Amino acid sequence: MRTRDWFARGVLPGTLAGLVGGLISAAALAQIAALPSTASLVRPGAAGAGVVVHLVVAAILGAGFGVLVWHQRPGAGETLFWGLTYGALWWFLGPLTLLPLLQLGVIAWDVHSAQEAFAGLLAHLGYGAATGLALAAIRRDPLPGGALRGWTLVGVLVRGAVAGLAGAWPLLALLGPRADGPSTPVIGLLGGVSFALLYPRPPDGTGPALVRGMVFGFFWWALWPLTIVPLARGAGLAWSVEDARAGFSVLPGYLLFGAAVGLGVQWLDGVARLLFSDIRGGGDQEGIGTEGLRAIGRGVLAGLAGGALFTVVAVRTGFVPAAAGLLGSRSALAGVTVQVVVACAIGASYGLFFRRQSLDVGSALGWGVTYGFLWWVLGPLTLMPVLLGAAPQWTAEAAAALFGSLVAHFAYGAAMGVVFHLLEARFNPWWIPRSRVEEARVVRRREHLLTSAPALWALVVVIALTLPILLNR
Amino acid sequence: MSHALRRDLVAGGIGGLVGGLASAWAMQAQGLLASVAGLIGLASLGAGLAVHLGSAVLIGAGFGVIFRYQPLGYASTITGGVLYALLWWIAGPLTLIPLLRGGAPTWTAAAAAAALPNLVGHLLYGALLGGSFYGLVALYLRRHPQTAALGRLPLPEAPSWRVVILGGGFGGVSAAQRLEHLFARDPRLEITLVSQSNYLLFTPMLAEVASSGLEAQHISAPVRAALQHTRFRRAEVEAVDGAARTVSIRTDPTAPTEVLPYDHLILALGAVPNFYGLPGLETHAFTLKTLDDATRLRNHVIALLERADAETDPQERVRQLTFVVAGGGFAGTEMIAELFDLVGSVLRYYPGIQPHEPRFLLIHSGGRILPEISRALADYALRKLQARGIEFLLNTRVGGATSDAVLLGDGRAIPTRTLVWTAGNQPHPLLATLPCERSRAGAAVADQALRVRGLEAVWAVGDCAQIPDPNRPGTSCPPTAQHALREGQAAAENIAAALRGQPPRPFRFRTIGTLVALGHRTAVAEIRGWKFSGLLAWFLWRTVYLSKLPGLEKKVRVVLDWTLDLFFPRDIVLTGGVPTPTLPQVTGASSRTPATMPSPPGAGA
Repeated sequence: MRTRDWFARGVLPGTLAGLVGGLISAAALAQIAALPSTASLVRPGAAGAGVVVHLVVAAILGAGFGVLVWHQRPGAGETLFWGLTYGALWWFLGPLTLLPLLQLGVIAWDVHSAQEAFAGLLAHLGYGAATGLALAAIRRDPLPGGALRGWTLVGVLVRGAVAGLAGAWPLLALLGPRADGPSTPVIGLLGGVSFALLYPRPPDGTGPALVRGMVFGFFWWALWPLTIVPLARGAGLAWSVEDARAGFSVLPGYLLFGAAVGLGVQWLDGVARLLFSDIRGGGDQEGIGTEGLRAIGRGVLAGLAGGALFTVVAVRTGFVPAAAGLLGSRSALAGVTVQVVVACAIGASYGLFFRRQSLDVGSALGWGVTYGFLWWVLGPLTLMPVLLGAAPQWTAEAAAALFGSLVAHFAYGAAMGVVFHLLEARFNPWWIPRSRVEEARVVRRREHLLTSAPALWALVVVIALTLPILLNR
Repeated sequence: MSHALRRDLVAGGIGGLVGGLASAWAMQAQGLLASVAGLIGLASLGAGLAVHLGSAVLIGAGFGVIFRYQPLGYASTITGGVLYALLWWIAGPLTLIPLLRGGAPTWTAAAAAAALPNLVGHLLYGALLGGSFYGLVALYLRRHPQTAALGRLPLPEAPSWRVVILGGGFGGVSAAQRLEHLFARDPRLEITLVSQSNYLLFTPMLAEVASSGLEAQHISAPVRAALQHTRFRRAEVEAVDGAARTVSIRTDPTAPTEVLPYDHLILALGAVPNFYGLPGLETHAFTLKTLDDATRLRNHVIALLERADAETDPQERVRQLTFVVAGGGFAGTEMIAELFDLVGSVLRYYPGIQPHEPRFLLIHSGGRILPEISRALADYALRKLQARGIEFLLNTRVGGATSDAVLLGDGRAIPTRTLVWTAGNQPHPLLATLPCERSRAGAAVADQALRVRGLEAVWAVGDCAQIPDPNRPGTSCPPTAQHALREGQAAAENIAAALRGQPPRPFRFRTIGTLVALGHRTAVAEIRGWKFSGLLAWFLWRTVYLSKLPGLEKKVRVVLDWTLDLFFPRDIVLTGGVPTPTLPQVTGASSRTPATMPSPPGAGA
């Protein structure tokens, strides 16, 4: 029974979804004439055999994917994010490791080889995304709270559209004349609506929504300026490392846009539930104000702890004088003061957005690090230059130059997440049931967390660490 | 170390070895492994491999401890491994290794690019670590299914220890809160709180409720909301059996008696008004202990104003417009000031009452009011209140009360319809039934560690307990909220110590200060010997008590009440009167159904 179930709901749909993903990525690779390298596994130069090999591999990987996400929460959004991470990890394992090993007997983990294989990364991301979406469609993942019909669907579309347009506005303002292709409102509208369709009824939590949205923004960046726009112009896929380097100038914009969409859809969904929905599972909900001050207080403490670590790294990397510039000063004291204040403020927001989201130190690390990365994009890359009177530093070179700051933000986020979790564990360990009555509620809350969050954390860290390296000249 | 933790630690270590071997092979294939040996000053391949595998096992064990085994969570475990290993890439090759080599951390893109092979190696290591960790633990659990339950959260069928708290005031609730905190991760303790009211009443603001300055519900917090992990029972305590260690409770007079067993019992029953057997007081005096008392008094005062507005009998007018408070302590002084404010602020709605008519009188048996604070401040309060026209009868005792007068000890009678009694409290009468040592007033005598003398495993806090005050030898702790709060916490800590086999700690607390509101934006305050009066003290009063009010929601509501009070007169809506009259009551007809009315369905044959 179990084995049959495992086959019927894991392997089989996974294989089919993998085939879909394989077809799409094969089509994409054919565009940039990259397929024969896979084919060279069997017979060099044979395109037909190459497609067959590619599809077989895709189907096998798809079966693995089906088994991997078998126990995870269903839903197109969830499988999409798992698929993206799965694809990205296989890029490292496949084109960078197994393929050269089988072909040449060497492993190619150096920057040059990785840059050569950069198109493969996008192809793997595309494969993962297509496989994830296809899997959700093939399994016919049920939506929590019933199918989307009538006004419910309209509501979802409207929320997505509003969140997308609102999120695209700062994108428009910041990108300015550099935005090419279709106008930003169109990107916003499409992005917002598609995100809302992926998560018609998003799980609770503003913080996870921000991170989810940010990763969606990354996906949208790979999909829109690197894929659809050049294809529509008839210029072929812009998947080479040079194209991606040029496209980096809009990547932070897309990340922030995605985060804004995630936030907007989440909050609009909350408002819609408040106004239009009957009480559904409201028994576990407490008002936003309940324990809100305590969450902020714990967040501030956690932010201070993270800020201390940040300052250590920042002093090492010479980031402090830049922070002092915000006050128009050059003294280290002013810089540290600015950093402490900012660390506390971000910590407070972390406390509010991420309370009751980390079950253990591992998930605390995940949320903290991804939130730290979001602030690296928002802070040193965007707000700092803008506040200092310059344009946002959205180039691969600037990102590479700010690598030290990225490490500092990771350290900040990790320490903040862990300290916040430890404070919650000490004062309000919500994941520990203390009576039979409570047990059911705790189990519901824990299950709530079986989302694609781990995939998001891994993908964010992989992307954050590799893109500045690979796209740097 | 728990069994599950040890299991995860070992599985993580082995997983780390698996990942380490794979990444070592990959690194060696690129000729990078020997450089690791440079860390310990050797250049040989064997040393490099040893260092590599050693750190891989240690880091893997750390993964097991941090991420733990989650049933069916293999996807999360693998991606968690990747996340963890990539963070170690920053911490290791970019930070620790340069530091160990005596240099600075290399947090630059150039160094990161040079370490990219290492990054991919970490990624491979992390994925294998997560996967094999999950596989190992799953395999182990399949072999040893009996240990599966050990990894889960222990939720015993029956609690190991039961603590019952009687009373939902400051002492009881703070004890329960502290216990919840001390046993936050230990579900073996079951806490039960029994109280007649399902809310914690913030008594310092009760006078403001009586004077219509605050909404009644805004100064009380539901016990169930304040204590998320405590079983709450709204019930009357019938009896305590110290020998059998049980408490008998009854939810209402018709319900059967329930018996709650306990391992430790906290008595936090508080006090009830004491009329010293004076005639008529029990029936005619208002007290100020509960929310009901406060709203009843407020409605009474407003109803009297309504009547006096149209009253023609001059003597009855005097009775209706004379307000007497007995007792010149905190409660009495604040009450008379608040009553003065209430009547003063709503008088303009009652054109039939002349401003000079309302009379306010405070009767106090002592020579000066507010004996709890220093003489200078008490004199200030007296002057301030007298200047407003409040009369004081000092060195005067109340001898009794009738429906229309207060009788004084010297035989005089003051015609009034309102007497508020704040002149005496006594510990809860239930204590009289306990076989323990009791003080002259009837309080349970407790030792320095708050244990009740004469009863095993029973602790007493708050107004119902007589606890020696180490700051003033020979005396006992005063019956104030700040003491009750700390006593509750101390009792909880001592119970936790007793359950864990540790000795109890003596209770020690020095009064922080006293604050008395005198209405009309004045107050007196004495904090650690510092004296304040007037507007500053009033501001202190509001700030301090607002900060002590339990829960953010209630704080916000009280702040709103106070703010609105600045702009609008006090509310004179009369609640709690008679229910809606029935038709027969209105028309005076009998309750027979008129023959012309259709009979209700189903009636008749």
